[in-house]
Amino acid sequence: MKKYSLPVAIGVLVIGFWFSPDFQQIAAGVAIFLFGMLMLEDGFKLFGGGFLENILERATSSVPRSLAFGIVSTTLMQSSSLVSVITISFLSAGLISLLAGVGIIFGANIGTTTGAWLIAGFGLKVKISAYAMPMLAVSIILVFQKSKYLRGAGFALAGLGFLFLGIHHMKEGFETFKDQFDLTRFALTGLLGLVVYTAVGMTATVVMQSSHATMVLIITALAAGQISYENALALAIGANIGTTITAIIGSLTANFQGKRLALAHLIFNLFTAGVALIFISPLRDAVDWVSANVGISDTDFALKLAVFHTIFNVLGVVLMLPTLRALIRFLERVIKEPALDLSKPKYLSEAVDEFPQTIEIALRKEVKHLYDNAVELITHGLNIHRHDLFSTKDVAKTVAESRAQIEFDIDEKYEHRVKTLYTAIVEFSTRAGSKNLPHDVMDRVYILRDVAGQIVRAVKAVKHLRRNTTIYTSTSKGAASDLYNGLRTEIGRILAEIQRLDLAEPEDRSQLWLDEEAAQVESDSVNSTRVVEELIREGQMDADAATSFLNDSGYAYSAMRNLLGAARAYYIQPDSAMAEVERILTLDEEEVEAVVSDVAVAK
Amino acid sequence: MGLEKYANKIDEYFARLEDGKAKKIKPSHVLKVISKLKKKEQGLVQEIEVTEKDSKKDRLKRKVLIAREHIKRAEFLLDKITPPVK
Repeated sequence: MKKYSLPVAIGVLVIGFWFSPDFQQIAAGVAIFLFGMLMLEDGFKLFGGGFLENILERATSSVPRSLAFGIVSTTLMQSSSLVSVITISFLSAGLISLLAGVGIIFGANIGTTTGAWLIAGFGLKVKISAYAMPMLAVSIILVFQKSKYLRGAGFALAGLGFLFLGIHHMKEGFETFKDQFDLTRFALTGLLGLVVYTAVGMTATVVMQSSHATMVLIITALAAGQISYENALALAIGANIGTTITAIIGSLTANFQGKRLALAHLIFNLFTAGVALIFISPLRDAVDWVSANVGISDTDFALKLAVFHTIFNVLGVVLMLPTLRALIRFLERVIKEPALDLSKPKYLSEAVDEFPQTIEIALRKEVKHLYDNAVELITHGLNIHRHDLFSTKDVAKTVAESRAQIEFDIDEKYEHRVKTLYTAIVEFSTRAGSKNLPHDVMDRVYILRDVAGQIVRAVKAVKHLRRNTTIYTSTSKGAASDLYNGLRTEIGRILAEIQRLDLAEPEDRSQLWLDEEAAQVESDSVNSTRVVEELIREGQMDADAATSFLNDSGYAYSAMRNLLGAARAYYIQPDSAMAEVERILTLDEEEVEAVVSDVAVAK
Repeated sequence: MGLEKYANKIDEYFARLEDGKAKKIKPSHVLKVISKLKKKEQGLVQEIEVTEKDSKKDRLKRKVLIAREHIKRAEFLLDKITPPVK
């Protein structure tokens, strides 16, 4: 079916062009209009650079705010599709709740009606092509500027210019078209007309991927007298159903939350369309009453269509709003959260690829997911239970008492719980690198990718360590057991310290807390060789065990360094000036030892 | 006490700032870090009071010393970046 759609579409266009040159103008008008929408979208993305995302994050703390955000953003961007795609992206990244997401979609349905007003009230009455030309000329100067904000503004202005130009060509096309063909011959009345034209409106929107473009076509055709008012109403209802296709396509690459939102969008628009179709007569009366009261002439069908579009969308929101929480429960029941599979990325999906803020936040959460999996492998690899380690006040004692081997296949777990996530993180960061993101965001993306690398190296080091650690600590083997327990304790202490850092309030924590741990690792690493030599001399350790330990301690210190490095980079202040302060204050091993020994001398 | 190294780090920061490669540190940034460090230091002191094991006490004392050194250095940095009162 899919492989025939392109040739069929091109075929229809060519046949249409053959029979009517005016059809060419209408089709070109639609194409220019859609191109304008794409440019407007690109402009907002570039101009946004986190700005739009920041607002979205703040503006969704309650249902009324989400609703208002949906209305305002769709009015500004003149695209409910763009707003719904952004919302799905944010929902997938875990930045907003499903309730807020549905609120935005409801609001976007009201916001999108402003388009009909713009076209009916302004687009048809003013020669808007006169505005389009200077807009396009100015925009091209802006597009070639270095500043991304100016470029973004240029794209947005060009988008608006093309929208106007597209409307102009559609209008012109219909004006001359009506002299040759009288489309009103195909007008259908009664229930049949309602059903057929609703289906036509839906199909047109699915094909053009824009209810806005369909509404422009309907209004211009209506203004040119090419379709009847009744059929235009049905077309508008159909366009509202068809527009959900963009959200459905957007949700295909999203997680379960994105899919829930797309379903909510479909339910809302189907319900609204159903209500509009059933109550079409009272709605027409309501439109006439409102139009008469706001001074719209009885024969200005374009503006009356805009009134109708607004009334039925607002009515839909009014009717659905009280059932919002029930709708959320229904969505959660129908699309279940998949059972947690620790081996799969939880936050990285193509749906979050689009916006700088979602990319960084989703990646940050995924790296934490990787770290949590890594901690499980590291602790179990050293035969320690996480709960024991994180709840004890005496790490050394807990570690010494954790002697029983924890049975699991560390290689298999490494492949499934660590390597797969790391691969996804590297792929995601590489994809992000090709997206022309702001420099500071890209720097943080690469830092997070490197953090993931350090976590993986720590796990690999513990993999090497596991065999001998189990041999020397499951039963007492004298000095060698003490040494291996020492290594386990140090790793355990570092994990506990990182856990403490993670649990602290963001405004209280500082990666400087890890300075002492880092210095301790370095001094222990140097001392371990000396300690082993002494034990050999005293006959408390044979050369075999000593060699094994020295090799293994290398792995252990590598694990510790990587864990500390990862934690430092992960928990560094997000504000780059604060991060700068922390970097300046960080003490290296030499400085830590100097501080400690100076105090000892003073005593 | 490694102060030369610390002074070099600050000089290096000012050089990067001049090249536009570092973000300007304001006194408020340093004050925020100082407040965090003081909170941490107090927490460690309280932990020492309730800790019985000597080895753990020693380790905590080391941490307190480091936190105090951080505070001292942060105050020095604050002094360096605060514009003189005219």
